[in-house]
Amino acid sequence: MRRRLEIQCEDETRSLGKGSCPPGPVPEGLIRIYSMRFCPYSHRTRLVLKAKGIRHEVVNINLRNKPEWYYTKHPFGQIPVLENSQCQLIYESVITCEYLDDAYPGRRLFPYDPYERARQKMLLELFCKILDYQNTTYFGGDCISMIDYLLWPWFERLDVYGIADCVNHTPALRLWIAAMKQDPTVCALLIDKNIFQGFLNLYFQNNPQAFDFGLP
Amino acid sequence: MRFCAFAERTLLVLNAKGIRHEVININLKNKPDWFFKKNPLGLVPVLENSQGQLIYESAITCEYLDEAYPGKKLLPDDPYEKACQKMVFELFSKVPSLVASYLRRRDKEDCSGLKEELCKEFSKLEEVLNNKKTAFFGGNSLSMIDYLIWPWFERLEALELNECVGHTPKLKLWMATMRKDPTVSALHIDVKAFQCFIELYLQNSPEACDYGL
Repeated sequence: MRRRLEIQCEDETRSLGKGSCPPGPVPEGLIRIYSMRFCPYSHRTRLVLKAKGIRHEVVNINLRNKPEWYYTKHPFGQIPVLENSQCQLIYESVITCEYLDDAYPGRRLFPYDPYERARQKMLLELFCKILDYQNTTYFGGDCISMIDYLLWPWFERLDVYGIADCVNHTPALRLWIAAMKQDPTVCALLIDKNIFQGFLNLYFQNNPQAFDFGLP
Repeated sequence: MRFCAFAERTLLVLNAKGIRHEVININLKNKPDWFFKKNPLGLVPVLENSQGQLIYESAITCEYLDEAYPGKKLLPDDPYEKACQKMVFELFSKVPSLVASYLRRRDKEDCSGLKEELCKEFSKLEEVLNNKKTAFFGGNSLSMIDYLIWPWFERLEALELNECVGHTPKLKLWMATMRKDPTVSALHIDVKAFQCFIELYLQNSPEACDYGL
């Protein structure tokens, strides 16, 4: 019987919390990521690790009950953090991703051309501005308005899959999603999670019945 | 714009690398319509090359210049050292908005809280210099990270915020060393001129950006 190739990364491990023992040094030839299974920021780094086929180990951190030793890895206990066998620590999700692209051979994720690289970074800045643009409950102020409705459909669809429970990183966005779900208009048109998933399954199979999924 | 700290980053890099360039100053209090075609956000700095490619966001323009042009590399080749410079940049990231808030509020309210916050941010940078034991933020020679954060330190005197580096001796020493760098001193802004610019700018005067000309 053919043996299945062992998966090189296993991120489905229990998170470490207060009172846990710090993991030992990172073995040679491996890089460690301190992560959390549902965090979109460390998800970025895990995507790059996977895309480049980089051998790594995952240590999940309990973000609501952080181990004391974790503050020696990041001054504010944030994730993701990369640690290599030379005890070098790298943090900030975008910086970790760029570090991996620079430090490891193989498939290059950032373009070679300086202008194309700059374009990607400009696009990321625009995206971050959406995340940062909130200093009020809604994007337009204290009441729901056009911009909230214009952005909502994409976030509703992400929410169907359960948006990451990343307490520290995007509390404003989480609050916005919660506030939006209380709006009567949004509620009236909220897509049922199971129906949406059923639609997607059929849609990706190019099944023309997809569009009527869930109708009697 | 002659007094913009963000644009100064790009000018520092252009000069440090000896890149031939032309400068078009934009009146930020009376922006030409065509400028929004260069940057939809209407902000400076923006780079435009002969192929019509446009690059904006000051840190991105600086990195682009370092990659696209030959000569002295301002960012290290070593991936970890490069990442370290970017992590220091993150540590600095609250400073520009703190300084901007201070400017807007100093004539209206007590800003001791803001000054305290600035001191806090500066102590983080002091800690970096303490740990690295080098003269500059990237090692023993001046490099990208030093140029990226310099413009705000250059303006401390004009803004009467020198007290915020009162408890950060290494940072103060770094500032003195930076002033001796030929690129930095070539772009030095006169304290009085900057103060007059700020006054006009806060009054939304369309003459502000051309003060002194």
